[in-house]
Amino acid sequence: MQLSQADVEIKNLERKFDIVVIVSMFFAFIGGYHIHQMLLAGDWSFWIDWKDRMWWPVVAPIADIAFPAAIQSILWTKFKMPIGATFSTVGLFFGQWMNRYWNFWGWGTYPLNFVFPETLIPQAVVLDGVLMISNNFVITALVGGELWGWLFYPANWPMIAPYHVPVEYYGQLMSMADLIQYEYIRTSTPEYIRMVETGTMRSFAGGVLGVSAFFSGFVSACMYFLWWFFGKFFGSTKFVKHSSV
Amino acid sequence: MAQATTQTVSISIPDRSAFSWKNLWIALAIITVFELAVNVYERTFAIAKGLDYFTPEYQTYWMSILYTELILEPTTLIALCSWLWVTRDRAMENLAPAEELRRYWNLGLFVVVYTVLLYWGASYYTEQDGTWHQTVIRDTDFTPSHIIEFYQSYPIYIIAGVGSMVYAMTRLPQYAKAFSVPYAVLVGSPLMIFPNVGLNEFGHTRWFMEELFVAPLHWGFVMFGWGALAILGTWLQICPRVVELIKQVYYGKPATSPAVVLNDPEKAADPALCEI
Repeated sequence: MQLSQADVEIKNLERKFDIVVIVSMFFAFIGGYHIHQMLLAGDWSFWIDWKDRMWWPVVAPIADIAFPAAIQSILWTKFKMPIGATFSTVGLFFGQWMNRYWNFWGWGTYPLNFVFPETLIPQAVVLDGVLMISNNFVITALVGGELWGWLFYPANWPMIAPYHVPVEYYGQLMSMADLIQYEYIRTSTPEYIRMVETGTMRSFAGGVLGVSAFFSGFVSACMYFLWWFFGKFFGSTKFVKHSSV
Repeated sequence: MAQATTQTVSISIPDRSAFSWKNLWIALAIITVFELAVNVYERTFAIAKGLDYFTPEYQTYWMSILYTELILEPTTLIALCSWLWVTRDRAMENLAPAEELRRYWNLGLFVVVYTVLLYWGASYYTEQDGTWHQTVIRDTDFTPSHIIEFYQSYPIYIIAGVGSMVYAMTRLPQYAKAFSVPYAVLVGSPLMIFPNVGLNEFGHTRWFMEELFVAPLHWGFVMFGWGALAILGTWLQICPRVVELIKQVYYGKPATSPAVVLNDPEKAADPALCEI
């Protein structure tokens, strides 16, 4: 089929608008998502010695499923674009790495293996896949939300495992992660402010991580529902007359 | 076009240069050079001159930046909005489709600039402050990184955001007579991050000296950050009208007239045009 001049112009122009929309969404989502993540789960993300078995796998997935769910609720229902979660988490990853590299390391000189961020991308791919295959946000919330919580620690384990080897330091048992934070001084983050597992009289030593991941999957599923509808609100196309404002 | 009717005779296909990237490249180049310069300045003078608020060097190298930017920023905002308002389109009901389409393109580029600046403010300089908190025990609310983060990067994206909205309100029928809820949230909610600094600094001065990022004191920023999601609704509003205009301009298909869009922006274009 021969394309007319008008067809070519339209194709060209629509592609240009696509780029404008995608690029602007990418940067807007980084800004919003990063603020959200930084101030709800940031401390665990910044430091290797905060990446524990009990709080980190609970706080990070629960807080971070918000933007993927909201963005999916528009990109999928309106455009059948199955990339909402991946798009947002890749954006977050970009924002985090720009900072850890240029600022935490480049300016503050904290070594990168102290301040590298967690990854959410594997879980996001799963979340997008579940939504695309099921075409059903309830199933995505229940199955994808649970997987989002469960997969968090396994996806990150290869990165953090090397810092969990034990060392004896002046007669004390420490992990490499503890030792790194001990050596690289943080003026405003004393050790007591760190929220990590300290053991309780009611917990069983071996079962911490599984319980945390399971719990976090459940809350993530609830959060997914909530944020799916928040996404609908932010994707509303309402206008309000000047006279009524 | 073959299907030309009396309604579409007056429509001329715009030149490709009407939809040029040039202005965006210029803006992005300026932003990049500026942000690089800011980073170089921080690395040069934050540790050398910015560790002690009570030295004359601090006043020279850092407080002077604060005072200068606090004068320049409101001036720029007022000048930009006044200029957009004075040069507004006073006869929007007669707007030609090709011109309306071109203005949507300009708005799109404006929004890209806004979101890039939003990235620098909300992501880059906000988390950057995290590392400076680990470098100093602060002796002022106006640390070098706060002078850049709160009083420079936030106002700059606010100027871009408000400017883009005023552009839409003064140039496009869809936005001229009614407020777009998502656009107001997109621009207004991140804008509220800046006043929230008031709560933040009060709290840090009165309550906390350690830096716990997840402290409830910071959650106001989080709620205002959510507003960036409203870019979804904004594009959903713009998309059907742009598709309609493209079809009108290039194929000569009938489209809603600007006069109708002015009075009923919500229903003027069929949202199904952009949905699957």
